[in-house]
Amino acid sequence: MMASQTLKRIVAPLVDPAVYDFWAQKISPTLSWDRCLARIESRHIEARDTVSLILKPNRQFQGFQPGQHLNVTVEVNGIRLTRSYSPSDTLRSDGRIRLTVKAIPEGRVSRHLVHHSKVGDVLELGAAFGDMTLPKEAAAWLLVAAGSGITPIMSLLQTLLQKPLEQPVALIYWARTRADLCFSEDLHSLTNRDPLLKIHTVLTREDHRLADELGGRPREALFRNLIPDLERRRVYVCGPDGFVTSVRGLLEPHAALFRAESFSPAPVVTRAGAPVTVTLSKSNVSVQVPSGTPLLKALEDSGLKPAYGCRMGICNTCSCQKQTGSTTDTRNGAVQNEPGPVRLCINSANSDLTLEL
Amino acid sequence: MTSSMTNVLNRSQKKANRPSDEQLAAFGAELDALRERTLSDLGERDARYIRRIVAAVRYTEVIGRGLLFFGLFPPAWIVGTLLLGISKILDNMELGHNVMHGQYDWMNDPHLNGKTFEWDLVGTGDHWRKTHNYSHHTYTNIKGMDEDIGYGVLRLFPEQRWRPFFLGQPIYAIIFALLFQWGVAIQDLRFGKFFNGKKSGKEMLEEMKPFLKKTRRQLVKDYVIFPLLAGPFFVPVILGNLVANGIRNLWTYTIIFCGHFTADVQLFPKSVLKNETRGHWYFRQIRGSSNLTGSKLLHVMSGNLSHQIEHHLFPDIPAHRYAELSVEVRAICQRYGVHYNRGSLVSQFSQVIWRILRYSLPSRYVPINASA
Repeated sequence: MMASQTLKRIVAPLVDPAVYDFWAQKISPTLSWDRCLARIESRHIEARDTVSLILKPNRQFQGFQPGQHLNVTVEVNGIRLTRSYSPSDTLRSDGRIRLTVKAIPEGRVSRHLVHHSKVGDVLELGAAFGDMTLPKEAAAWLLVAAGSGITPIMSLLQTLLQKPLEQPVALIYWARTRADLCFSEDLHSLTNRDPLLKIHTVLTREDHRLADELGGRPREALFRNLIPDLERRRVYVCGPDGFVTSVRGLLEPHAALFRAESFSPAPVVTRAGAPVTVTLSKSNVSVQVPSGTPLLKALEDSGLKPAYGCRMGICNTCSCQKQTGSTTDTRNGAVQNEPGPVRLCINSANSDLTLEL
Repeated sequence: MTSSMTNVLNRSQKKANRPSDEQLAAFGAELDALRERTLSDLGERDARYIRRIVAAVRYTEVIGRGLLFFGLFPPAWIVGTLLLGISKILDNMELGHNVMHGQYDWMNDPHLNGKTFEWDLVGTGDHWRKTHNYSHHTYTNIKGMDEDIGYGVLRLFPEQRWRPFFLGQPIYAIIFALLFQWGVAIQDLRFGKFFNGKKSGKEMLEEMKPFLKKTRRQLVKDYVIFPLLAGPFFVPVILGNLVANGIRNLWTYTIIFCGHFTADVQLFPKSVLKNETRGHWYFRQIRGSSNLTGSKLLHVMSGNLSHQIEHHLFPDIPAHRYAELSVEVRAICQRYGVHYNRGSLVSQFSQVIWRILRYSLPSRYVPINASA
């Protein structure tokens, strides 16, 4: 491994990664000079509109910590799109990763992964990020998940259960109906494994709940009944934005520690003229500019000097990578919420932006 | 006035016909609509196409270079050299030129990114993005702004002043064709300024650094590494690479000259830029460009610059779409009485040669038509 790394450094100036990847991928579709590619090894229907994909990454994969998420890039109709998903399994000795994905109605990536991806397809993975990870020392835990927020929580739970528990652990898992519950079998078998583990499911739209299933939205009485020792629990929560906000209000003042992650909502689009913050990630500068004004002009008015040429969308000189945020093409009004190259002279901001400048 | 002379006059007047401002506004709106319609349809099909071109570049290069190792055997040398030439042509035109316009930026693929793509030519991608994507495409055929008009060495229009230097132009044109990639590579370095003392040697050297670095890489690749790999058979490899680069130079020169220097193309004065509308910008692009008719093979091998008009109207639309766009562009031009210049490779290139020969000789200086 060390020797191959050294060899790679020596030959690097002679290698064009695009050419290397082209030929290497004739041998194996996940080989790459510098990108982490992963092959879908198998698919498993986990719940309604939800699949688990077992991925085999190439050697560029840097690993992850349970509870973190990965940027996953797939090509849909010729366009590479990136979304974050959490591995739903503990670190596996065979290097495989399990991603669990729920298709959401307008989600181009999630619908592609759930309904159209096949065994053998190749995805690109980014570095893992997120700070909802497990500390070394034992603690009493309360894990709260809603919907597909179960995925990082499942990874955390399985990692905790790799050793016999020393302190109590509880999972409260919200879903709409029983058909929407992921990992039902796994959760059942886990319940019997350790007397210190308690798992509660809460179904909000199920007509006929079973004896051990609860109902309703998050509320103080429910948490107090299930977790009388809330004050000593560390709480991790993952779910939709609104859910996380309400759980935060109920638990954060009482718990020993509170950390939460919500699915990133669509960029907040403001009305034209309202100020937005544009962050230039390479120069480490942030400026306030009016939304609705072509970015090139707006940045220049803030005293910055981005490269430009024709100022009419022809020459591509002012093009740069948009990392986050929503923009509008000022020529035709088309809105673009995806990361990707933008020409500053013919795009205006709809939301806060991060540009690779 | 004889009737044939009247016809000629009518013909040239008709070609220079400029629609009224209102007509140009409608003309521009129709072309904008065509553009939007095409952009909204980009997807899988275009991604598959450009990846097929990438594959064609890679395979022809490997097979071509492979055959050149057996270059002592003449058929292997001939086929190897041709394949390598084809690979370089595809890499420069259908792949490099088009990707560098940002035509495939919407795919968000780092290997097909217009701002970072680099090609198998001595000219750097960054330099090209400036002289071509910006100067030439924004100021197409504006005298004094588009440096592609004669590339600073040729007089191709009566609107350029004649000097005795131009008497040697037929010779310069041939040398320029054979060394086309070098001519294009140094276009922005402005050696003229250095020779007449407006730029110091130090400044010149500083500006040349990226070019020298790229040149070294290209020369080492074609004339050191691959010949060395052939061991004792290095001579045929060197010759094969030299000829392949030459084939590519001649072909790209031919295609590019046919795009802007045929008989009917028009030059514009700088004054057109003042308050130029979208419609007039489109009109200028059409009147400054000319198309080649021919087979699908011609279109692919010319990087679809055979559809020079469509390329100038829509430089950021994937070029393999130009063929289908050209049907509608022609119809729109016909409706507004805008001359749409097209012809076969032989006919268009003959007109280019005629211009090179004719304007090497003195002709009355024609002040550029300010009403164009």
